[in-house]
Amino acid sequence: MTLLSFIPENEDCDFARINKMQKKMNNRIPTVCHERAEIITEVFKETEGEPIVIRRAKAFAKILTNMSIYIEKDSLIIGNQASKNFAAPIFPEYSIDWIVDELDEFEHRSGDFFNITEETKNRLRVLQPYWQGKTHKEEVLKNLPSANRLAEKQGVLHRGGISMSGDGHIIPNHEFVLKNGYGGILKIAQEQLTKENSQEQEDFYNAVIISMEGVLTYIKRFSKLASDEAAKEKDGKRKKELLNLSKMFKSFMEGGARNFHEAVECIYITHILMMIESNGHSFSFGRFDQYAYPYYEKDLKEGNISKEKALEVITHFFIMTNSLNKIRPWGHTQYSSGYPLYSNLMVGGMMPNGRDGTNTLSYLCLEAMSMSKLPEPNLSVRFCEQTPHNLIVDAAKLIRMGFGMPSMFCDEVVIPAMMTLDLDIETARDYASMGCVETAIPGKWGHRATGMTYINFGKVFELAMNNGYDPETGIQLIDLNGKSGSEIEYKSYDELWSAWKKTLKYYFNKAVVCDTVCDKSLKYHDADSFASSLVDSCIWRGKTLKNGGAMYDYVSQSNIGPSIVGDSLAAVKKIVFEDKTLTMEELKEALAKNFEGIGGAKIRQLCRKAPKFGNDIDYVDLIVADVYDSYLELLPDYKTDRAGCGPIGCGYTMSTSNITSYVPNGFDVGATPDGRLAGKPLNEGASPCLGADTEGPTAVINSISKLPNKKIAGGQLLNMRFSPGALKGNENIEKFADFIETMKEKNIFHNQFNIIDSETLRAARDNPDEYKDLMVRVAGYCALFSTLMPEAQEAIINRTELSF
Amino acid sequence: MKMGLISKIQGYSTKDGPGIRSTVFMMGCNLNCSWCANPELITKAPKMFYYKERCTKCGRCVATAKNNSIVMTDEGCIIDRDKCTNILDCSHCCFFDAYEAIGYEISEQELYAKLISDRAFYEKSNGGVTFSGGEPGLQGEFVSNVAKKLRGNGIHVALDTAGLIPWENLENTIRNVDAVLYDIKAFNRDIHFQHTSVYNDLILENAKRIADTGTAMFIRMVIIPTLNDDWEDICKRIEFIESLGQSVKQVDILKYHNFGTGKYIRLGQEYSLNDLPALEDDFLEKIYKKAIDSGLKASIGG
Repeated sequence: MTLLSFIPENEDCDFARINKMQKKMNNRIPTVCHERAEIITEVFKETEGEPIVIRRAKAFAKILTNMSIYIEKDSLIIGNQASKNFAAPIFPEYSIDWIVDELDEFEHRSGDFFNITEETKNRLRVLQPYWQGKTHKEEVLKNLPSANRLAEKQGVLHRGGISMSGDGHIIPNHEFVLKNGYGGILKIAQEQLTKENSQEQEDFYNAVIISMEGVLTYIKRFSKLASDEAAKEKDGKRKKELLNLSKMFKSFMEGGARNFHEAVECIYITHILMMIESNGHSFSFGRFDQYAYPYYEKDLKEGNISKEKALEVITHFFIMTNSLNKIRPWGHTQYSSGYPLYSNLMVGGMMPNGRDGTNTLSYLCLEAMSMSKLPEPNLSVRFCEQTPHNLIVDAAKLIRMGFGMPSMFCDEVVIPAMMTLDLDIETARDYASMGCVETAIPGKWGHRATGMTYINFGKVFELAMNNGYDPETGIQLIDLNGKSGSEIEYKSYDELWSAWKKTLKYYFNKAVVCDTVCDKSLKYHDADSFASSLVDSCIWRGKTLKNGGAMYDYVSQSNIGPSIVGDSLAAVKKIVFEDKTLTMEELKEALAKNFEGIGGAKIRQLCRKAPKFGNDIDYVDLIVADVYDSYLELLPDYKTDRAGCGPIGCGYTMSTSNITSYVPNGFDVGATPDGRLAGKPLNEGASPCLGADTEGPTAVINSISKLPNKKIAGGQLLNMRFSPGALKGNENIEKFADFIETMKEKNIFHNQFNIIDSETLRAARDNPDEYKDLMVRVAGYCALFSTLMPEAQEAIINRTELSF
Repeated sequence: MKMGLISKIQGYSTKDGPGIRSTVFMMGCNLNCSWCANPELITKAPKMFYYKERCTKCGRCVATAKNNSIVMTDEGCIIDRDKCTNILDCSHCCFFDAYEAIGYEISEQELYAKLISDRAFYEKSNGGVTFSGGEPGLQGEFVSNVAKKLRGNGIHVALDTAGLIPWENLENTIRNVDAVLYDIKAFNRDIHFQHTSVYNDLILENAKRIADTGTAMFIRMVIIPTLNDDWEDICKRIEFIESLGQSVKQVDILKYHNFGTGKYIRLGQEYSLNDLPALEDDFLEKIYKKAIDSGLKASIGG
């Protein structure tokens, strides 16, 4: 096995075993598990009338007591989310109708299929009646105004996961958990209970106690299981490991972590537990190298661990994060294909005191990823002026391996962006990415730094061109000239620009309404005492995250298609208002007909020749920047439902993290003036439109550098594709590392790379079986190419390959 | 102000000198190498690429082209480029990008402005700008003027030349750059003539003169199987390079590639080297070793 730069000096890390585990996990088979669904249904039937936070805690504890547990063969990291490797548990309390409706479809999906037995289908079907009228989704639909439903029908707004699953999107305070253990947190809750409390606080503390007791039970079950397995184990080395695990789990995390292995195990178990409690995604690990380092350092000093052993433990941990799974409705799967969990793990970057925090673990995580080569965790690297060049070179070598990791975050841009919120500099320096590229302060941030309502910018633009009228559905929610219908005369670019702003504001308002409806419902349905107790300051405030327990609370929506809108505005400005080659009527007619016929082709050619974002052309780059500003300037006037409940902030930020939504969002948008055909994908994140960047990677960077990146506190996403030849050899790796390091001069928030040629991607599309291990960067996350739906595969193939 | 005729500016160039560079491809060349990978740059005039795979056979170019010089067939357009006096019009008349015009005039100021925008990348990587082609030495005054401005702003400039330029013209360009990428395609003048249509006397002479100026030189030795891979000649090339002394910073042994084949098809030209045998990597290693043994710094692949 070739490592990036580490040269092992002993046999402590069993590379052959890692290889075996990796292969096995690479061939994981997605299934559906009914256990959690059955247990929570049972508990909810028994606890009618009790406070929701208690009911959920009781269900959580009972699941942990009764669910099947197993120990993954060979692994030093144990703990399971469902009855089998890569089985998705079911969360009927959020939504169940789609599950029952799609039961027979899961196996036949064109992407993200799930195997399911007839027995599981039947066991799930019988649960459905109990949940009628009780789920989160029904609550949301009950409260969603009809205008919102129409806006969704138009394809402008998309609710995504927020109306049918838990919230996720948090980074627990791992440092706090490692220090106190689940037992310690239980004690804090007991002590808090002795003080004078409101009913809400009392319920919360009682729920934390029930949850933590459940957690400790789950842990003890593993102690017994490990010793049972040890008794059966024939291999001497493994037997010893199982006995060690059994001993470890006897009193695991009743107090703080006692060594590095325990610390990593605890980080993993905490992650699993959050994903049993609720089915959000993007539960992230934050700055792993920072909070795990003291345990490594102590073990190293005391001679209890070698660097090689630490590498083995981290690699097992990385591989095991891929045993978890989540099932989503087909409609939502299109937005996030490839079974993503978005469990981000970050290394490198500044410490709160401003000094560089790179340490041995930062490097080992890169090495671990070079061996695990699986979609989770979503590995990210922070860098700043003081970051050692060697870390960037190792990151570059990992990127060269071609599976899209790590993604790179530039402190010099992200920290100022975070400081546009109410953060002091020490706090801002501690940021981590969460999910894809969303940024948050680990352990202090409420749910959903992004991923609230999705706004389809491409559709908003289409509506603005048509006086608010949607040519596809015939629905018109606003008009811009006082008359209904699509007729509108634009005499100048400024008039069109005002229409864009007006239309955007209208739909932004609707999106905020949708956010609030979902948030209010989740207060009840995501009353999660376990996850909440791990984020400051819930445990001291006695509140769940959704009720305002977090220290900071900012959310963002997901904005899809700013480059399409900017390119389209630039095309109209140039062709219609400046060169006057076409009239607006001619252009609109061609768009309505999807550039059909020879006349349409002629107009499309004009559109395609207009300046495009991504080529370092001020004319269009500054218009794209205007599009960002038009959204940013709306934000200060809006607050979330938690304003006044405790957290600092409770406002909105902007994010271009948009997973694969740029593909299905494109389905809803007719032809656009940039020359894009109807139904084709919008642009991904902040990246240029598909194939629009023709001047190479430095021109893309120069274009992106003109955007207001230091104001996009929710995360700015850039995805680039290089040909493998460009990174061949040491000299090219050095150049590529220099390229990455230049990001800080160029105002680039984040960048991530696919290193793969179009030919390979096409071959993988045509022969999926031969490319089962081909992992690609989809958006802010990576997935196995073969698991993506065909449209997403095409969109990735069509991204400009930068080769030189 | 001088105008230059270029085909493109390639950002993030990693093969044309140290660091991350922008390479300016200048049109026009006075050699005619049979292996040329940039046939569109040989004559100093705009060209037209025709992409058969994009053609919808709409026939608009047939109607546009003068002298009935384009004929539509089942296989796409057959273009008689000698007869066609207005081929550039086809790029405007085609709505489907089946035609792409190559080559445009650019002012010194405009080119400088485009190049300077990547300054941060050059500085971080100790890179810069490379003038390549074609033969940039044929547009020496233009190159010199842009190079002066770049160097005035601390940007490293390299000239990628085959050196077939009278010294009185070439010298000025050389004095305005920091480094020269210098092609030596053969030592024997007949081998050189056979494959490039010119003798190499002036080229070898100019190599010495450039070396005498003390300008950093990166010698490029492209090896084409059966054409210029005679071992004895290669050894002489290396001896000659060694004789140039301290100015030579590195010898780049470049493996022949046929990536230019598509361009010949798009230009409606024959590519004469379709059936060349592959070059053994061992052979390149042998050349590399010879260069190293002669005390030169060398690389395979540039």
